Amino acid sequence: MLGRAREDAVIAVDDVRKAYGAVQAVDGVSFHVAKGEIFGLLGPNGAGKTTTMEMIEGLHAPDSGEIHVLGMDVRRSATAIKSRVGVQLQTAALYPQLTVTELIELFGSFFGRRPATERLLEDLELTEKRNARTKTLSGGQQQRLSVALALVNDPEVVFLDEPTTGLDPAARQGLWAVIRRMQREDRTILMTTHYMEEAEALCDRLAIMDHGKILDSGTVDDLIGRRFRERGVHFRRSGAPEKEKLEALPAVSRVVYEEDEVVLYTSDVPATIGGLLELTGRARTEPADLMVRRASLEDVFLDLTGRALRD
Amino acid sequence: MRRLIALTIANLKSFTRDRAALFWTLAFPVVFVILFGTIFSGGGAAYELGWVDQDGSPTSIALRQAFAANAPVELTDGTLEESKARMLSGDVDGILVVPKGLQAVIDAAKAGQHPDPVEVTIVTDPSRSNTALALQQIATGLVMAANLRLSGATPLLSVLPDSLQTNQLNSVSYFVPSILAMALMQLGIFASIPLVQQREKLILKRLNATPLPRWVLVGSNVLVRLVIAAVQTVLILGIGIALLHVQILGDPLLIAGFVVLGALTFTSIGYVIASFARTEEAANGLTSVVQFPLMFLSGIFFPLEVLPSWLKSVATFMPLTYLGDALRQTMVGGTPFVPLAADFVVLAGWLLVTLGISARYFRWQ
Repeated sequence: MLGRAREDAVIAVDDVRKAYGAVQAVDGVSFHVAKGEIFGLLGPNGAGKTTTMEMIEGLHAPDSGEIHVLGMDVRRSATAIKSRVGVQLQTAALYPQLTVTELIELFGSFFGRRPATERLLEDLELTEKRNARTKTLSGGQQQRLSVALALVNDPEVVFLDEPTTGLDPAARQGLWAVIRRMQREDRTILMTTHYMEEAEALCDRLAIMDHGKILDSGTVDDLIGRRFRERGVHFRRSGAPEKEKLEALPAVSRVVYEEDEVVLYTSDVPATIGGLLELTGRARTEPADLMVRRASLEDVFLDLTGRALRD
Repeated sequence: MRRLIALTIANLKSFTRDRAALFWTLAFPVVFVILFGTIFSGGGAAYELGWVDQDGSPTSIALRQAFAANAPVELTDGTLEESKARMLSGDVDGILVVPKGLQAVIDAAKAGQHPDPVEVTIVTDPSRSNTALALQQIATGLVMAANLRLSGATPLLSVLPDSLQTNQLNSVSYFVPSILAMALMQLGIFASIPLVQQREKLILKRLNATPLPRWVLVGSNVLVRLVIAAVQTVLILGIGIALLHVQILGDPLLIAGFVVLGALTFTSIGYVIASFARTEEAANGLTSVVQFPLMFLSGIFFPLEVLPSWLKSVATFMPLTYLGDALRQTMVGGTPFVPLAADFVVLAGWLLVTLGISARYFRWQ
């Protein structure tokens, strides 16, 4: 099955390792990305996401393991691969003195082609800034420009490294739309992120990384469903009934006290809430800020690593 | 090839749009040439001499004409008091006084009498010994010549000016090629700074993620340096010729060859700096550490002969010594420190060795 997947995969990474001195930055990573997929590497800073991605881009050689992109071995065919993929790095300012148009055309020339400059400017909302020096662009505009540069060669595979880091929510939404459009244009996308909501919103499948290893991978539903069949009933802690009474409620598996909330994990939400209301009704109160939540990627990460994923 | 041209144009645009870089690489050497040229040409050209004619006779006027025509002096007429005031305020370097009675003595001599000689006074400032000596010699020489002519004697000895080029190049001719050499050195070693910047800002990494071959990247950086070197050469030589009247004697192709070789050698040294400097600050520091000994121990500002022998032996290792030497020889016919072929060999040797070091230690990311 692995063999077949490797042939079909646009990106195939098999047991890749990379050490920097004593630090094992990437420690036996394997995953395959199918054509047209948006695949995400999710994890905190220093998890090894960027190193993994840059090995796939041919920027670093792995110490061991195999990487194939578009069916070609990265070690042997780096240049051929580079001409068919697009790369966006966490690089802010490229050639600060050139204008947006000049930079796009310069990068096009590296691939020996005239880029569809007008279309790129339009798609990335840079038309107004076409003659501005790149050093004068805002953070969001520079980020969009670096995505535009990743598209100058009309690539089959696009690599995006933390594409929305440092952007405000509106700019982030704008870039998400651009990434979804890339997918509609039949491109395969590998992206890294440390934003849970970004991974949930964009990625068809994702791998959760920490300390150079993939802890788990799959669709968002797989990742959550695999370990959290239950849902959480949240309400305010002050004035809540005693723990023994809550534990005795129907379908409750455990009761967790968070900062100012109580969470009842339950396999039957209506039964639990019915019991809870009965309990508080007897005391002539009601649970404040009552809310039902499915587990999130955050919970998955917490479950996998024992710590929260923070920016 | 198209990629090389596109990248070179982009690099040149970046360079010309960066005002600070433009100033330091183009305006600074020019300012330097003009500054030094003005300082040193002041000493080399004419002396200002106050002329006090107390006789007002045809003979004194003839003497004045002889001075004006034959000596490197510019004469300013005035009374003794006026001239002294001018000398005190620095407007003239000395005063020559033709006393009353010159014509009378000449007339008497022509009449066969033997009058006491007239004393022509030359007033100089002993604290400016070179100027004082020169003016005294000029005055003595011309007065002796006048004596001979007036007394009607037949000259038996004369001086034929002939020249043997020694290291007594006039200062400006020495400086113009030297400053060009210095500018090329700076242009080359400062190549390290944008390189380290581009690496620090991950621009090199970004370029490496495209199919652009590395030779295009390096080739473009070198081409940019050569274009700037050509502009610098034209500017510095242009100013040297037009403003400072430096005569360029050598073969233009040979000069161009050494300009290119010098630019390449020092750019390669710049790459060595970029190989060992991890940050822009480190590159700045290292560049200064390399630059200053080169500047002061390479016969750029003064001939190597004036250095104590141990410093002179340090200078014999400096590539800039040989670029300066080669440019002085080819441009203004300066005294060779070593033959041109040796300059070529040393510069080419530095180029090859530093290329090897860069190839071994340079990191793209």
